[in-house]
Amino acid sequence: MIRDKIAAAAAIFVRKTLRLMGKGATTLPGKIALKISPDIIKTKASGKNIITITGTNGKTTTSHMISDMLNTLGYDVINNISGANLASGIATTLICGKEEVLKAKGDSKGLIYVLETDEAAFAKIAKPLSPKVCVVTNLFRDQLDRYGELTHTRDLIAGGIDGTAASLVINSDDSLVASLGKGREDRSIFFGMDKEALIKYEKENPVKKGIIPPSADAVFCPECKVRYEYKARTYGHLGDFYCPSCGSKSPNPRFAAIYGSDKNPAFEDYEFKIKDYKKDIIKDVILKIPGSHNIYNALAAISAVTVITEIVEDNKEMLFEKACDASSKVKAAFGRMEKFKVKDKEVCILLVKNPAGLDRSLQFVADNDNAGCLYLLLNSNFADGKDVSWIWDVDFESKAEDLPENIYVSGQRYADMNLRVRYCGREVNDKGDETRMKDIFDKALEECPSGKCVYILPNYTSMLALRAMLVKEFGIKDFWK
Amino acid sequence: MEKLVIGHFYPDLLNLYGDRGNVLALAVRAKLRGIDVEIRNISVGDDLKEGDIDIGFIGGGQDSEQNIMSDDLVKVKGPVIKSMIEGGTVFFTVCGGYQMLGKYYKEHDGKIIDCLGAIDYYTEGESERFINDTVYSFKTDDGSEVTCVGFENHSGRTYLGEGVSPFMKVVKGHGNNGKDGTEGVRYKNTFGTYSHGSFLPKNPEVTDLLLELALKRKYGNDYVLSVIDDLGAKEAREAALKYIETGKEQMI
Repeated sequence: MIRDKIAAAAAIFVRKTLRLMGKGATTLPGKIALKISPDIIKTKASGKNIITITGTNGKTTTSHMISDMLNTLGYDVINNISGANLASGIATTLICGKEEVLKAKGDSKGLIYVLETDEAAFAKIAKPLSPKVCVVTNLFRDQLDRYGELTHTRDLIAGGIDGTAASLVINSDDSLVASLGKGREDRSIFFGMDKEALIKYEKENPVKKGIIPPSADAVFCPECKVRYEYKARTYGHLGDFYCPSCGSKSPNPRFAAIYGSDKNPAFEDYEFKIKDYKKDIIKDVILKIPGSHNIYNALAAISAVTVITEIVEDNKEMLFEKACDASSKVKAAFGRMEKFKVKDKEVCILLVKNPAGLDRSLQFVADNDNAGCLYLLLNSNFADGKDVSWIWDVDFESKAEDLPENIYVSGQRYADMNLRVRYCGREVNDKGDETRMKDIFDKALEECPSGKCVYILPNYTSMLALRAMLVKEFGIKDFWK
Repeated sequence: MEKLVIGHFYPDLLNLYGDRGNVLALAVRAKLRGIDVEIRNISVGDDLKEGDIDIGFIGGGQDSEQNIMSDDLVKVKGPVIKSMIEGGTVFFTVCGGYQMLGKYYKEHDGKIIDCLGAIDYYTEGESERFINDTVYSFKTDDGSEVTCVGFENHSGRTYLGEGVSPFMKVVKGHGNNGKDGTEGVRYKNTFGTYSHGSFLPKNPEVTDLLLELALKRKYGNDYVLSVIDDLGAKEAREAALKYIETGKEQMI
């Protein structure tokens, strides 16, 4: 107990000192606290209402949506908004988070912690955290040189889950994630695309195909070693799958998204519907963070908010409806998609860390009619993964002709990215290594037509580097704010 | 118009680390020369007959995925692939695909997994993985030396049989086993390598050699491959070499 108190005091002291120095201090305080007291997470998490969000893609966006929605619904929220999602970052949030509470307007219904959690870290800290709800978004290949095989990541998450009694909010369209529900049926709540609506949508909106299919993950039944059949697919290995041998299939979701008919999810304020099959209610929802993949994130967030409020609130009426309404009010400009205006032009930054992320972001830019320029940045520091070959896993070819006229590349491995772009049949306007990153940004902004948007797709450290330059010039927030 | 059929083996299982870029490189560099290209996906349960393809590509997969396809490769398609290799069909194989053409793979607990045995080499698994950028020296068929770059990520150590030629010499990195300076294998028109990092897009001399071997085999020895742009490959290679030499991490 005394150890925990010393640990927490030390963390708070370090945080205050570093903040005075203008640093984010999102991980070091927790790191120090964990050194002093390895049990600090358990102590600090005890008795709290915690939601964890894990999975390879969409963690940050989903966490932000959940935080914002709970806040709208009258809860105080503490989250690790900076994306510090390892044990050290989570310990920091648990100890120091009180100084950065998203305060509810009016009377608070209580405090909820919304914690984005790295997949490997989840395995270790799920038990001490003992969350009420665990969300698993999806599992795509992600820096395999650092994290190892996807099935291993899935097993790590399964191990973490088994240390808790949490309700599981998991993706029914992802075979790896859905398999987490096996043997845990009583506490699994699935979300996914509405099966009938998806088949209809796929027929009406056939996906363009490149000359080689994108590198697929998890398209074989692990039990039978037989290829899954798909009644319909969304992207990657996500969709309505079934094994023709053993018959195992994508579970029927409780929360199902139904595509809207007239607008493209890449545009602002896309309207779609979500059905709660348990309550047999269909609600209209507005997608405040555009992009077809964000339908999954919004769906995950609505599911998680419905489930946590069902646990903590006495009055169980209309909780799903309220969650949907709160989702339609989520503030657009945050998370992994960040936008700001420069005179009559826009700049939009979409962090891309792995093939699925780059694939979805390219599709988003290709679908968007306001795309004036595309600026791709590729670094290969340790945090990015040293191996840049993953850019070849992405199907640029099917999107090539729909990408904006002006393409630029930069970063330590700019020449690899240039080669990738040229192999899909497109040319770049300008290219250069990390020393020219800002210079090329200025050029892209200059050449972007009025009223259009410069879409910047950086990987992790190139995002930090470019952002640091933009913070100075355009006054956008530091990343931890 | 000339036509090439590229057989992409197990694209839904063996597709690690951008290996599909190798198929893309072969296809694009052939198409840019006006050659008709068909890419045929050949996976578990699909038919394969000799003469079906002009170039075969076999990549590497995660263990769980290699477990799914290894029986199909070794037991079902094995005899046909062996005969194709002997007959001079062009094959380019990476990592797991490369290992599976050898005699066997011995896991570090001593368990032996039988492989195709198309070429005389074997692989032993060890716990330490070689994960790093690589530089190789490749001797082309006209005797000139080309510096190639890639990225290796493997725990297997491959040992070539007596008289079996490596594909390249290691300049930087570990290569087949970290000991003898060899990288990969070349046997007739079959090539094996540990290099991911999408080797063929960045090293167009090798890509063009594979295309030329396949076209000569199909259209006669006097077939001449036309010269085309490198699409920025040499710049990518030089940038990679510079990056490897300085080896500096950007500090953030």
